[in-house]
Amino acid sequence: MEFKNKKIITENQHALIRLPSDGMKIIDLKTDGKISLGKFGNFEVKDIVGYCFGQSFEILNDGTVVPIKSMSEQVNIEQPEDEELDRDILTKIFSNSAENNQNIINIGSKIQKLTHEDINELKESGASSNIGQLIISKMIEGHEGFDKKTIHSQQKYLKRKQAKFLRRFTVEYLNSAQLMNYYMEKDLNRLLDMSQETLGLMLNYSNVRPGGKYLLVDETGGLILYAMLEKMGFEGEVLLVHENEHPNYSMLKHCDIPEDVLDKSVKFINWLQILEPSNERIDFEVLSDEQISGLRGGKRAQYFRRLKRANDINHVIDSIETGNFDGFISVTTLDATTFLPYVIPLVGGSRPICIYSQFKETLMEIQHGLMNDKRILAPSIYETRVTPFQTIPGRLHPVMTMRGFGGFVLTGTKVIPQENGIQAVGRGLSKRRREESPQVEKTEDSSDTKSEDIKSEDTKSEEDIEIDEN
Amino acid sequence: MRSQNLIAMSFFEYKDIVEEGDLVLAFISRNDIKPIRVTKNAILNTRYGNFLHNDMIGSPYGKQMAGAKGYGFIHLLHPTAEMWTISLPHRTQIVYTHDSSYIMQRLNVVNGSRVIEAGTGSGSFTHSFSRSVGLKGRVFTYEFHEPRYLEAKREIEDHGIDVNTFITHRDVCQDGFEIQVPENFHNGDNKINAQVIFLDLPSPWIAINNLNNVIDPQMKVGICCFSPCIEQVHKTVESLQENGWVDIEMVECRGKRWEARKEMVRDVNDVIKRLKDIQSRRDHGIESRKRVKLEQQEDKEAGVPRGFNPFGKGERVKEGDINYSWKDVTKIESEIKTHTSYLTFAFKVPLIIPE
Repeated sequence: MEFKNKKIITENQHALIRLPSDGMKIIDLKTDGKISLGKFGNFEVKDIVGYCFGQSFEILNDGTVVPIKSMSEQVNIEQPEDEELDRDILTKIFSNSAENNQNIINIGSKIQKLTHEDINELKESGASSNIGQLIISKMIEGHEGFDKKTIHSQQKYLKRKQAKFLRRFTVEYLNSAQLMNYYMEKDLNRLLDMSQETLGLMLNYSNVRPGGKYLLVDETGGLILYAMLEKMGFEGEVLLVHENEHPNYSMLKHCDIPEDVLDKSVKFINWLQILEPSNERIDFEVLSDEQISGLRGGKRAQYFRRLKRANDINHVIDSIETGNFDGFISVTTLDATTFLPYVIPLVGGSRPICIYSQFKETLMEIQHGLMNDKRILAPSIYETRVTPFQTIPGRLHPVMTMRGFGGFVLTGTKVIPQENGIQAVGRGLSKRRREESPQVEKTEDSSDTKSEDIKSEDTKSEEDIEIDEN
Repeated sequence: MRSQNLIAMSFFEYKDIVEEGDLVLAFISRNDIKPIRVTKNAILNTRYGNFLHNDMIGSPYGKQMAGAKGYGFIHLLHPTAEMWTISLPHRTQIVYTHDSSYIMQRLNVVNGSRVIEAGTGSGSFTHSFSRSVGLKGRVFTYEFHEPRYLEAKREIEDHGIDVNTFITHRDVCQDGFEIQVPENFHNGDNKINAQVIFLDLPSPWIAINNLNNVIDPQMKVGICCFSPCIEQVHKTVESLQENGWVDIEMVECRGKRWEARKEMVRDVNDVIKRLKDIQSRRDHGIESRKRVKLEQQEDKEAGVPRGFNPFGKGERVKEGDINYSWKDVTKIESEIKTHTSYLTFAFKVPLIIPE
């Protein structure tokens, strides 16, 4: 991925900005550009270029920025005089704290002497970075009950106020995880409720890696596509299946992928072309060089446009007819039971299929369908959930609330069932018979028994384990 | 020997046809996948039958293969890191896919990433890392237990993932991570320059002190420490803070597997009907009851169900039997992993002052 810098903040690239409020913003780092972060202030692109991605900054009085260690850091790296000030404040604050919260009075605004008017006045007194700190320290002074809080809750209070008033931000490289975080905040519906851990699980179960050739249905508008391309490092090919006249991969607009790179690694196909490949093939009359040179400007451009379109379409139709995809990944609200019959034959032997749904019931229906389909081995529904903890030594505990959903994944392996000669071991095939006259069991035509044999292969195996162990 | 290169590539690309010398995962059941090296004239013996390696050669990957004596079958699967995780010989507690996939997603392990892993353990995560970073990336893995190191080293070479994976026998807590980096593992200089760190060690907080010279000095670096106990997390977080790591967060990841099942629909009206049926039989009096008892015995012998029997009482009814009505339900696996380990994530951003 030489076309963009993953390490250093670079001009003419997009980046993700994290704010003290946990808010996020995607920005375009235009040369000489100026970025506005609303109440958190403004800064110039040239002031952050050259630092590492992940760097946090503080906006100063004069609108310039200085690097700071992290968003929650109290100390300013390049301003030792502030360090003194901060320390003073903190020492003052924390020398007066209670052992427990026995004397706390929980009446919100009544305990805070500093009014909204006071705060606004302070804000207007200057665009200084210190204003944030100043407001916070004033608020603490004005908070009658502050010394009644425990040191821990004082810290929490401080953190909350920092999130509100500090003019700080962090610049992150826009990888798929960050892009996902951004859309979780902004437009969760587009992600069909998918969580980061579920995306991770899908990418692994579908064995996405450099050089692979994958069939993908991505209704998120490009998140899954971006995550896959990132994993593959743009080596290999993704064939994106879409249901409209034109594919939607609008999320990629922030990802700075040059058109030629995208052209090489992503191809598009609609369901009509998958279901009726031969009808959709374009029979294009290729002109000779002479004929081409005879075409006028406009006509000539049109000819090449049409030629490219025909080649593109015929290429994807070729790939559908060849099949043997290294995996099928689906994130869509389309009913998978209606398209799987067309997709399963396209997947290569021993390659995974991976289907996402917001709802377990949807996947249950698919799994029931696949149990009678011997072409998908051991289909299973997986769920994964990450619980974040408050991570303060001595006060480790799961956070009080978290997002309740994250979706489900059905995955299985495409296999090639045998028509004849398969006789499952289990009930109905006693051990003795097996040992004494095994050749009797050789079924030439098992068309009647095969579906039953294979159907509940897992259950059969389990039954057999019981039999063997008893 | 012709296919030596292809064999070595099986964790990096798919093959279509099984050849002699391939690593094949023989899928017997969901919990029983046997890794085999396809060898002429060898036989795979399982409790479900015997399978001739000769029959495997030339078969397509994914093929369902019948036993040599006509009963039993296996599926010939191509190795993948995830399948390997299920089939591998456990030498230690392994990192399961729900944990490993989240770690890779959060730390952005992609084509070209440079990874440190300590310790190697059973090598399950090593395979996933190797697959994910591809031929441009590099994995540096460390194991302090000598027999495990030797076993893992043999496996890494055997599976051909040594093209991007380098194993070192080392106690990283005591002796750090710095090694003589082989030339084909360099990028720019002769340092490791890791961008992703995964520590699955008894005392990660000691190893954290040794990371400064082995991480990429030009890039935000991510770490994940994998520890089962909360006391370990406590010490790890303190050590990360002392060493200048930021955005420290501990999480727990839980994976579950669900299965689609069928539950019989038992209509209360059928219960009423059955009760009435029984009642009417009883109403025939003692005489007839005697007769019924006799009938019952006869029925039992003949295998015929007695009276109105809507739910197949006393019979073996297979789930989904078309003579009954069913509804689709899901059931969770019988035993779930309540706790694997706590995952402590943190990041380090080198301060580069631009000119």
